[in-house]
Amino acid sequence: MKKILVLVVALILTVGIEAQQSPGKNHSKLNISCKTCHTCDVPTKDEPCLVACPRENIVTVYQKPEETPELIVIDQLSDRYESVHFSHKIHAQMSVMSGGCENCHHFNTSGPILKCNSCHETSRQRDDVSLPDLKGAYHRQCMDCHREWSHETGCNSCHTLKKNLTDTKRDNDKKKYTGKDHPPILEPAHISYQTNTDKGKLVTFYHDDHTKKFGISCVSCHKQENCTKCHDVNRESNDKLKTVSTKKTFEEQHKNCISCHKEDNCSSCHSSTKLEPFDHAKKTGWALSKYHINLSCAKCHGSKLPYKKVNKNCSSCHQGWNAETFKHSVTGLQLDEIHLELGCEDCHAENNFAKKPGCDGCHEDFNYPKQKPGKVVGK
Amino acid sequence: MSGKSRRDFLKKSALIGAGVAGFSTTTSKAAPKNILSEDRMGVLVDTTACVGCRNCEWACKDAHGLPAGNLESYEDRKILETKRRPDHTALTVVNEYPHGKNSNLPIDLKVQCMHCDHPACVSACIVGAFSKQENGSVIWDTDMCIGCRYCMAACPFQIPAFEYDKALNPLIMKCDFCFERTKEGKLPACVSICPVEALTYGPRTELIKIARSRIKRNPARYVDHIFGEYEVGGTSWMYLASKDFKELDFPNLGKNPAPGVSESIQHGIFAYFVPPVSLYALLGGIMWITKRRKELEEEGKI
Ligand code: SF4
Ligand code: SF4
Ligand code: SF4
Repeated sequence: MKKILVLVVALILTVGIEAQQSPGKNHSKLNISCKTCHTCDVPTKDEPCLVACPRENIVTVYQKPEETPELIVIDQLSDRYESVHFSHKIHAQMSVMSGGCENCHHFNTSGPILKCNSCHETSRQRDDVSLPDLKGAYHRQCMDCHREWSHETGCNSCHTLKKNLTDTKRDNDKKKYTGKDHPPILEPAHISYQTNTDKGKLVTFYHDDHTKKFGISCVSCHKQENCTKCHDVNRESNDKLKTVSTKKTFEEQHKNCISCHKEDNCSSCHSSTKLEPFDHAKKTGWALSKYHINLSCAKCHGSKLPYKKVNKNCSSCHQGWNAETFKHSVTGLQLDEIHLELGCEDCHAENNFAKKPGCDGCHEDFNYPKQKPGKVVGK
Repeated sequence: MSGKSRRDFLKKSALIGAGVAGFSTTTSKAAPKNILSEDRMGVLVDTTACVGCRNCEWACKDAHGLPAGNLESYEDRKILETKRRPDHTALTVVNEYPHGKNSNLPIDLKVQCMHCDHPACVSACIVGAFSKQENGSVIWDTDMCIGCRYCMAACPFQIPAFEYDKALNPLIMKCDFCFERTKEGKLPACVSICPVEALTYGPRTELIKIARSRIKRNPARYVDHIFGEYEVGGTSWMYLASKDFKELDFPNLGKNPAPGVSESIQHGIFAYFVPPVSLYALLGGIMWITKRRKELEEEGKI
C-alpha cells in the first residue's frame, strides 16, 4: 500500500481513451517481469500473447484508500432495479486488511485502473464464456462478503426496485457516503489463546504492545482477513471478542509470530498462567527513561526483524556525544560547575556508562550515589 | 415433437402387456431419438459461486407455467434447512450443505436433470417418449407418455417426477433444459436469471476446458473433479465443488453409461431418498424388459 504511483495524473491523462487495455507507453521500463502478462518472448501490438485473466498479483497501480473515489454509481445493467450506489472508499479502507485493491481489481495492467466491463461482457449470451459476464462479476465481488455477514441473499439489501424509488431515497443514497470514512478499527488490548500443547496451554498475546509499542503495521499480520471477523449481523457487540476455535496447522498458527520470534523458545509465549505484557526493564534489565519510552523500537534496534541487540552503553547509539555536546541533565543529574569541566572518563571509567561512576579519581572517601557531583533534577 | 397419439400406444402397450405376461411376444417400440451431437450444449454449475438465492427455482417455474409466487418470497432461507428433491412442482431445487475448503460459506447446490449423454430414461421408456436432442437436452413427449414411471426407476439421479396428486392424466415432469426457450435462441431460464452466473451455458467441450482451467488456477477452491465429465458416460450438466461430491449427496456412479434400470436402482440412491416400495415391485418387470430389449438389439430386431 505504501507504493503509490501518481494514479490521479495517469487517470486525467487517459480520460477519453476507450476501454483501456493499454498498459501505457513506457510499461516495458517498469520493474515488472514481462512474463507476468505476456506468454511469449517478443510480444507485439498485434500479437500481445497476454496471460489469461484473471491475472492476480499484478495490480501495479496503488492508491491510498483515502484517495480513491468515494462513491461509484453502478448503472450499466439497471433494468428492474435502480442503479447501485457503491461506497468505494469505505470498502477500500476495509480491504486494507483483506487482500487490498487486487481483491476486486484482479485483472489489471501496469496502466490505469480498468473498468470491470473492459473484460466482463454485458451480455450473458456470448461466445467466450470463460469469464463471468458483467452481472455475474459484480455479484460475485459483492455477495461473497455480503451474504457471509448478513446471512441472506435478498436483492433488496443493495438494490432498490425502480418502482419503489423516490427522489428523497436517491438523494439519501448519494449523501449517505459523502465525507464518510470507515470507522477506526477497534483493537483488542490482549488476546488469550487456549492451545492444545501439554506445556503452557495459555498464550497471552498483547496486541497493544505489538501495534503501539513495536509499531507493527496491521497488514503485516492481517493480510487476508475475513470480513466477518468484524461484520456479522449475529454478533452481539463489537467490543466483546468471540471465542473461536481454529483448525490451523502448526505452521499456519505460528506463521505470523515466528517471523519475528525466530530465536524464542516455546516458553516465551506458552505458559500455564497469563503472561505479563512486555516490560523493557524486566526483559532487558534496562528501564526506558522518559526519553527512550517515546521512541519506536526500530530507532535503537533497527527496522530489521528480529531486532538487533543493543548494549547498555549510551555510546552504542549516541556515538556523537562527547563532553562538550552532552547535556548531563538528561540523566536526571545536573552537574555542578566544577564537575562540568571534567571529561567523561574521569568519573565513567573506560567510558562505560552502564557501570556505576567512581569518585576515587579525585575524592578519597566519596561514593556515588551517596555523594553527588551536582543536583538531582529528575528525568 | 412427435405426433404419435396415445391411441397408438394403447395398442403398443397391449402388446407390451402381453410381452410381460407371456415372456414370448416381441415388444413393438419406436427407436427413441438419441442423438449425441459433437456441439451439444451443457451447463457448468460452479457450486463455489452459487449463493443459494434460489432465483433459478423461481425462473424455472415461471418459464414452465408452474405456480411460482413472487421472487421476493424466495429470499426466505429457512427452506434450505431441509433437503429437497426436484418434483412436478419444482423442476429444479437448491439445497444447502456445510462449507467446504477455505470458506465459511455454506455450499449451495442446484439440482435438476443432468441431461445425460447416454440417458437411462431414454433407454427405459417403453413407448419411446424420451429423446436426447441434438442440443444436448433430454426431453419427453407428453402425448406419448403413458405414465408408467419406468424413467423414474431408471434414472441414476432420481430426477423424473410424477404428478401423483393428479387423478386424471398424471404426467412425468422434469427439467427439459428449457427446450422451448433454447429453440428460440434464448438462454435456459435459470441460466439467464442467476445473479452470479454460477450456471455457465455453453458447448459441453468448451465447458470442460473452462472447468479444468478454473481448477488449475485455483486449486485451493475446488476439488479436482468435474462431476458429469465421465459419470454414467458423461452428462450435459456438470458440476464443480469445493468438497467431495459424495458429501453433497451425489450418487457414486461409474464411468459407464447406465441404461439398465437395475443398475441405477442399486447405485443411484441418494442418501436421504427412499424410493417408493411400489417401484421395487415394478423392478422385476422392468429388468426383464431391459434385458429382453438388449437381447433383441443384439439380434438386430429393434
Ligand atoms: S440463481 Fe444461481 S446463485 Fe441463485 S441459487 Fe440458482 S444457481 Fe445458485
Ligand atoms: S438425469 Fe435422469 S432424467 Fe435426466 S437425462 Fe439422465 S437419466 Fe434421464
Ligand atoms: S434448464 Fe430450464 S427446465 Fe431446467 S432447471 Fe433450468 S430453467 Fe428449469
